[in-house]
Amino acid sequence: MWLWYDWQAAAVVNEEGHLLDVLVCGGHLTEHAAVERLRTVARGELIPEALTLLERFPDATPRVHGDADLPDAAYPLPSSEAMTLADRAALRLAVEGVQQAASDPDRRLEHLVRGGDELRASHLTMEARLVEWAGLFYPLVRVTDRRAFVRAVANAESPAALAVDLEADVPEILPDEGEWRSLQEWAADTDRAQGRLDRLEHALRTLTLSHLPSVSALVGPLLAARLCVEAHGRQRLARLPSGTVQVLGAEKAFFQHLKTGSSPPKHGHIFMHPWISRSPRWVRGKIARMLAGKISIAARLDAFGGEPWSEDDVAKVDAQVEALRAANQQPPSRRR
Amino acid sequence: MGGGRQRRRGPRDLSPTVILDRRTLWTQNAVPGQAVYGESLRKFSGREHRRWDPTRSKLGAAMLRTRDDPADLLPEPGTSLLYLGAGHGTSISHLHDHLCGQGNRFGGRLVAVDLAPRCLRELTHMAASRPGLVPVLGDARQHSAWGILVPRKVDWLFQDVAQAGQVDMFVAACRRFLNVGGQGLLSLKAASERWTGEGEAALFAGVEEQLVAAGFEVVESIELTGYEDNHRLYHVTMKEA
Repeated sequence: MWLWYDWQAAAVVNEEGHLLDVLVCGGHLTEHAAVERLRTVARGELIPEALTLLERFPDATPRVHGDADLPDAAYPLPSSEAMTLADRAALRLAVEGVQQAASDPDRRLEHLVRGGDELRASHLTMEARLVEWAGLFYPLVRVTDRRAFVRAVANAESPAALAVDLEADVPEILPDEGEWRSLQEWAADTDRAQGRLDRLEHALRTLTLSHLPSVSALVGPLLAARLCVEAHGRQRLARLPSGTVQVLGAEKAFFQHLKTGSSPPKHGHIFMHPWISRSPRWVRGKIARMLAGKISIAARLDAFGGEPWSEDDVAKVDAQVEALRAANQQPPSRRR
Repeated sequence: MGGGRQRRRGPRDLSPTVILDRRTLWTQNAVPGQAVYGESLRKFSGREHRRWDPTRSKLGAAMLRTRDDPADLLPEPGTSLLYLGAGHGTSISHLHDHLCGQGNRFGGRLVAVDLAPRCLRELTHMAASRPGLVPVLGDARQHSAWGILVPRKVDWLFQDVAQAGQVDMFVAACRRFLNVGGQGLLSLKAASERWTGEGEAALFAGVEEQLVAAGFEVVESIELTGYEDNHRLYHVTMKEA
């Protein structure tokens, strides 16, 4: 005996396909009610009519409409009005599903990381150009603090005032009014880009710290975010083998290795971490392999609701890094 | 018949709303004045039509490439159909023109399933102005989650999902949703399948065998190279229950 149901009706049917009892939802359904019912069925739960019938026929096995187990029978399929309602409800569900996508931090992280990269690239070129451009007029100024230099140019009232500010001589060749304006606007834009970049990175840090607390604690939020984006999401990062985590971001070298047999990359994005980049060349691979394993563990904690790592746990990894460095102080001999 | 190679002068009607004009396809716009994806609009005998871009729609490409009558690939206007892997809705919009018409005057119903919220965003916008289009956010493999929206079996099913295991998905979907004698169209992306090292031809032949073994009659396998490389569209009919 089977309990057949869809979103608007339920029926009890025996093996021969005879309907023993039928319950169609009475009265007028609202769109909201239809949405709720569609959701109930999608979750694999029973609609009220099915629950009632299950009380009357406790031996019946519930099966949703279309299940292969169900025999052919004259099931109470939705009328055309009910179908119209279902269509409206389905559209509502789709819209809600699309809106839900915004609550997915993986997608937001992607924009933050990629947007940050674009902003940084454009900011650096703008800053470099400003230093070169303004430097033409003040050849004796040595720019050590670029950020302060940009500010100074942006806020200077005149080329002469800027010279005082920079503690340099008033230039012999002065830019004309138009060029000076352009130069200043360029500096102001550069300064603004810097501010935008700072705010964006702050937002990125905040989001990553809540989305990937353990990985952030281990390797810092910026690297954690980058790994997550490169892996296309936290779930996927958690499911990747740590060998893949180790070379995420080194795809070019990795596929070169597969294709031509050149030596495989030892590290991808994780190279950014000082544990690797500040270690001697010959231990980097060892540390990268160990660290990738730890990142995988941390990502799994974050993705599947584990207890986030504390500073003690990170200190243990740090100790392991130190041990690896200590054990490999000399480069390996070149002998074969 | 095999009439596809006959030289025909002038536009030819494939259905009340679909026109084949030499090598271009046009569908009568169900939302006059609006292009869906930047396609060109043009009037045929006073009615506005949208150009069906074969490089952006595998169904459109298949209709231009088939050796049989391209009209055979289209569903009956005013019926229900299921479209798995809706994407950005290029094919969907033209299918809707054909199946439902302006204000759904034919009374068709087009259930379009896709997994990606980004794609569904476009579809929900489109559904607002195109009654009869039912977008569904869900996994094409999980029939239990959205199958009740297709209460009766359909006569026309299209699948374009570009995932590994496309053929098994297609077979399962046809068993569940396609009437006996109904048309199934499977757009197969070779790159999504596991590389066996035997080349694409072997892969495509294997798919055909798999479809025959699953109880389909393969009407035609349409090579889409030129419009969509490394793709093939299988046109099958459901033989047994």
